[in-house]
Amino acid sequence: MSTPTPTLTHLATLSPPSSSRTWQTAPHPSQPIVATACSDRSVRVYSLTSFTLLHSITGGHKRSVRSCSWKPHTSGQSVLATGSFDSSAGIWRKEDSDTLAHEVREVGDEEDEDKEEYQFSCILDGHESEIKCLTWSPSGQYLATCSRDKSVWIWEELEDDNFETVAVLQEHDGDVKSVAWHPEEDLLVSTSYDDTVRFYREDQDDWVQVAMVEGHGMTVWWAEFEGSGAGKYDFRRQRDGLEERQTQHIDALEQSGPRLATCSDDCTVRIWRRKPREGAQHQNSGMPSIIRSAAIDEDWYQEAVLPKAHDRAIYSVSWSRTTGLLVSAGSDGKVVVYKEQWRRQDSNGASNGTAMEGVEGADGAAADTNEPSPTEWVVVAEIFSAHDVFEINHVTWAKRADKGKRWDGEEMIVTTGDDGEVRVWTLDEAILKA
Amino acid sequence: MDLDKDNANPTILNPSDLPSRRHESNAGKRDDGGSGLFDDLIPPYNYLSDPFDDPLSASDSDDDVVETIDEQEIYDLISTIADPEHPLSLGSLAVVNLPDIHILPPVSPQSSISTVVVEITPTITHCSLATVIGLGVRVRLEQALPPRFRIDVRIKKGTHSTDEAVNKQLGDKERVAAALENGTLMGVLRKMLSTCE
Repeated sequence: MSTPTPTLTHLATLSPPSSSRTWQTAPHPSQPIVATACSDRSVRVYSLTSFTLLHSITGGHKRSVRSCSWKPHTSGQSVLATGSFDSSAGIWRKEDSDTLAHEVREVGDEEDEDKEEYQFSCILDGHESEIKCLTWSPSGQYLATCSRDKSVWIWEELEDDNFETVAVLQEHDGDVKSVAWHPEEDLLVSTSYDDTVRFYREDQDDWVQVAMVEGHGMTVWWAEFEGSGAGKYDFRRQRDGLEERQTQHIDALEQSGPRLATCSDDCTVRIWRRKPREGAQHQNSGMPSIIRSAAIDEDWYQEAVLPKAHDRAIYSVSWSRTTGLLVSAGSDGKVVVYKEQWRRQDSNGASNGTAMEGVEGADGAAADTNEPSPTEWVVVAEIFSAHDVFEINHVTWAKRADKGKRWDGEEMIVTTGDDGEVRVWTLDEAILKA
Repeated sequence: MDLDKDNANPTILNPSDLPSRRHESNAGKRDDGGSGLFDDLIPPYNYLSDPFDDPLSASDSDDDVVETIDEQEIYDLISTIADPEHPLSLGSLAVVNLPDIHILPPVSPQSSISTVVVEITPTITHCSLATVIGLGVRVRLEQALPPRFRIDVRIKKGTHSTDEAVNKQLGDKERVAAALENGTLMGVLRKMLSTCE
């Protein structure tokens, strides 16, 4: 309590910033670049090596660009999807060129010039109002979009620029604020103005809702899954000298698979976990089993509420793929980093109650409420006024790529604000490597 | 007759009864150099006194920064907004009222963000324009106040049949942002705010 919480170190502000609100920044899956969705109807692509603007993608959208997502596993080209308040999504392509070709390009014929820019490729129409978020599935097979029209659409790219709508999911009672894919399975999650989080899967050629969780009680702004194989790098990696109940906890977590983090207007970040399947006595989510196979239903329940560190809406949360650290940011301008650790025994039993709260909202799942979770989340770093007095709309982890990189695979935090700025932050080595 | 209006016969307050600094009607408000007149001098849609624009006030303590804008000034900014269906101001219709305006200081000494809470009272409990009025108040304050203020506009409890739904909309920054990109709605808002000089 007495020792001050470590802070984040401001490494750079991507330059030049936008003159109006920026909404979200997506790191490229393999290159040291990011794309930023801007309210001036453009997308700005910045270098994480030089922290400068490389491209400005304009002329595609008639309203704010709210969201953008890089298609994973593309070869020879970069593919960016953009979602806008104009209710359409755009697909943009650019041939990948190495830096040498970039420097050689001087006079260049027209064709080469074109290759240097992001080309508008196609438009995905269908939503009736603003698109709030879009994201590619980890395999790149699907693109999910969501909108104020309360629907979630899943698109499949059959061949270049030929997109087919494979599902229109209309389960929510309010704006759908965000969509997120499970890192290993074709499992989609959406969060909403109706305060719920819903899970979808394909069942006999139809995408259906397989789980729904409540608990936030206010708009759920963002969701992100834990990385694949997190047990190899987070608090679980050190297995020597553990008590038996701790080993059991790790094994149970492995069975659950990657967890989900959500954040909300209610100023909390929550962790949700799938109840491992136990043979036949699996609960379904209320639909009669004549209509669909109950076996596809899943049980997700609230595992933890993170320590309260924000006093206004939390707009974004991101789960590191290399350290398991979580970071959150929102309206209060704070950026907070959390770490999961084994619960300290000496904390006289009643410690923080991270696992105690809100389990009743877990969609009928009877979570083990009596015993506190063997782990706890603690704040390991935070900074106030990360964008001066402005709100922060998005936060994400990204691989560090500038000359100052301290080790291979070092991660940094990227924040996107109402001031039009994208800021880059580093953490103490002790926190990242702990 | 005004049959198409939600409330054809609203109660109208006498302009001289509206709260202003000159009447000393609100106890405890100090006279800080005639800032009631100051309002007439500043252009609309400019930051009133952004501490980051002024090196002198930026060096002051947090407390002084917070005091540079008080409830009366907030009231003056929004009471002149025109009602969308009557040729009257929100102040004279008692839709906005000085006692329903609160400025909350930063929650932490490390934060410089203050919160302005405005509770509006629709003229009748089913007023369909409550959302537009609330949006007008929020937009007016977002444009006039420095960005260190967070603005929470709410319907006063018990004065509207769907107050919670309206509050949720008014508090949703993404919806507000999208609304401001809607030409028709912006036209209505511009008209409401055109009386704020």
